[in-house]
Amino acid sequence: MRVSANTFSDTLITQLNNLAVRQARLQSQAATGQRVRLPEDDPVALRRALDLQSEFSSTGQYTRNIARQTELAQASYTNIKALKSLSDRAGEIATQADGLKSPEELKLYAKEITEMIKQAVSLMNGTNRGDALFGGTATSQPPFAMSLDVNGNVAAVAYQGNTSLPETEISEGVTLTTQAVGANTLGTGPRGLVTDSRSGADLFNHLISLQNNLLTGNTTAIAATDRASLAKDEDNLLYHISSNGSLQARLETTASLNGARSLAIESQVSTEVNADLAQTLVKLTQTQTAYQAALQSGAKALNLSLMDYLH
Amino acid sequence: MGARSLTAQRAGVEVAGQNLANVNNPAYARQRVAIATSLTIGTELGPQGTGADAVAITQMRSAILDNQIQAEASNRGSLTAQQTALQYTQAALGTQIDTLASGAEGTTASQGVGSGHSLSDSMSQLFNSFQSLSTNPTSMAERQTLLMNAAGVAAQFNQLNSRLNNLKGSLNSTIQSETGVANQLLTDIAALNKQITSAEASTGGAANDLRDTRQARLEELAKYVKLDLSNGNGGAVNIAIGGVAMVTDNQVTDSLQSYDAGGGQVLLRATTAGTPLALTGGSIQGTIDARDGAIANLQTSVNAIASALITQVNSVHAGGFGLAGSTGANFFNGSNAADISVNSVLLGDPALVQAAGVSGAAGDNQNALALAQLAQTKFAAFNGQTLNQAYSQTVAGFGQQLSTVNTQLGDQQTIENMLMSQRDSIGGVSLDEEMTDLTRFQKAFSASARLITTVDDMLDTIVNMKR
Repeated sequence: MRVSANTFSDTLITQLNNLAVRQARLQSQAATGQRVRLPEDDPVALRRALDLQSEFSSTGQYTRNIARQTELAQASYTNIKALKSLSDRAGEIATQADGLKSPEELKLYAKEITEMIKQAVSLMNGTNRGDALFGGTATSQPPFAMSLDVNGNVAAVAYQGNTSLPETEISEGVTLTTQAVGANTLGTGPRGLVTDSRSGADLFNHLISLQNNLLTGNTTAIAATDRASLAKDEDNLLYHISSNGSLQARLETTASLNGARSLAIESQVSTEVNADLAQTLVKLTQTQTAYQAALQSGAKALNLSLMDYLH
Repeated sequence: MGARSLTAQRAGVEVAGQNLANVNNPAYARQRVAIATSLTIGTELGPQGTGADAVAITQMRSAILDNQIQAEASNRGSLTAQQTALQYTQAALGTQIDTLASGAEGTTASQGVGSGHSLSDSMSQLFNSFQSLSTNPTSMAERQTLLMNAAGVAAQFNQLNSRLNNLKGSLNSTIQSETGVANQLLTDIAALNKQITSAEASTGGAANDLRDTRQARLEELAKYVKLDLSNGNGGAVNIAIGGVAMVTDNQVTDSLQSYDAGGGQVLLRATTAGTPLALTGGSIQGTIDARDGAIANLQTSVNAIASALITQVNSVHAGGFGLAGSTGANFFNGSNAADISVNSVLLGDPALVQAAGVSGAAGDNQNALALAQLAQTKFAAFNGQTLNQAYSQTVAGFGQQLSTVNTQLGDQQTIENMLMSQRDSIGGVSLDEEMTDLTRFQKAFSASARLITTVDDMLDTIVNMKR
């Protein structure tokens, strides 16, 4: 092959340019730790990385949804547990209020029951972030409204909520709710916390009955009906406490699975887009050596000329 | 004989000088002086030589290589134009993986997978906001966040559409300006045809330097449009583009004209013939291909995703109820990426966002949940993919086209380097060669001069014999 004056320089420029581009690419990969940044780098890997990022984002949201449901579950649990204490005390009073107690003692018990009903109504009207906890999806008003008679005794407690509950997605396609409705007499849907037609629970009416029987000294009725009724209420509360605990455990398990999935996605994204640093640095060193060699050999070749030897 | 030889060697020195002077002229092909023995004369001893004459100055060119290089210039022009247009589009798209950046949810590199810096991130944020609203449907803060994120998605669609439209406008301007340059080159080549024909008719030899200039102009023109060349009269080159004769001998018979074919689609036609040109190479066609191919497809896909987002979200949202029981309102206004926006009524009062599935139940979240679950809904229109997956597919498809062009351009560069190297091997000037020739002709010139002085000495000897 015949070599002209510009063959060396043209070839050298092309070679140096190719090596410079390669160096720049490898240097960028080493600096960012990424093999893929732009769509043109590796379209297929980029596609998978974008999908994984989207999944990562959704998984993060599910984790936040779980945190919110856990907050609601814990808020509900605190109130249900307090309600259970009241129910336990009511059961004790119903057991203690026998024919051996004087009318004054029974009235004192009645007074205690009246206060317990007011306390229970307050618990059932509890809120979280301004929304009623036990009114179903009717969150803008207190779920229970209490009315008193002329003597200050509780005459009735009415449920103002509904029997629907908002469900939250905790992983793809899986929804649940940790909340409970205050009352459900429909026979279907979520079980009511204080009133439920399927379990026979009707805590407020049962407490009002106990209050009234204590006021009138009707210990026979207390023994015959109130004790059994309050036992149903207690069973119903135990069901809700147990259900709440199970849901919290499920949330914890799902959160843990979501965390594991997030870690797996990070690893997958890394596999798709990250550079193998050892390999990249070795290639960079190779390229730099070749660049240096091209510069040195080029400089020597370009300096040689017949003109140096002609006089 | 001596004088003739001196002339021949001087011509050799002059050609070597011309070669040396043009060593860095890329259009130049080295020249050689052809020296031949002059006419012999008959003598008693037989035919006797009368020295040598410089008979021609020839150019070291390969017509095959010149044609190939000119054809490859069209291919390279097309690919370079496509690469440039697609790289601008890639920048306009703004999608990249950055594992060191904060993600959409504030995740950092150590915790997350980085950010895609794109519509994909924004759409994920929007659907996550619907999820957040479903966990707290009465929260004004969640409603406000949702509306801000939705406005962000809408703005990103608007910006992307606007960037792509601006880019198409810039590409149209490029087509128009390159058409002007190509027309000027056609005029230049017709003028060079005229000069070459005239010079070669008067001198009888090849007008080497004019041919060099014309070849350079042809290769320059071929970068813009693919040429069909044929030989004209008297050394002229005839040019046809897309089947329409543009230069015949020394006349420009037609020219290129850019025109708007409708909808801002600037194309090329022959000015006089009026026919649209079916180009198959060159940067103008490359720009048209990129604009009407990859970029148009990208814009169509982005519009389809925006339309689906608007339709689907509105369809679910309209069936829900606001905090005060309002219903029937659309969440988004508009119909595509160009005009998508969040319903201003909702922006004015976040309580009107219809998160509930039933009226009169502020804590109901059925509608918000249904809206959030649109993120996982697979649409037949997107081949069974979700909206986010459809966008990822669009970006990946575009990236594949750019990657293919990059590879083709790399291959094209290799081919052109080989052809240029071959042409350089034939026509490139070698300083060593020319210096050797210079010395060779100089020595021959000295020797020819010595012949004259020797003859002179001999004549002196004869003249002085009488004394």
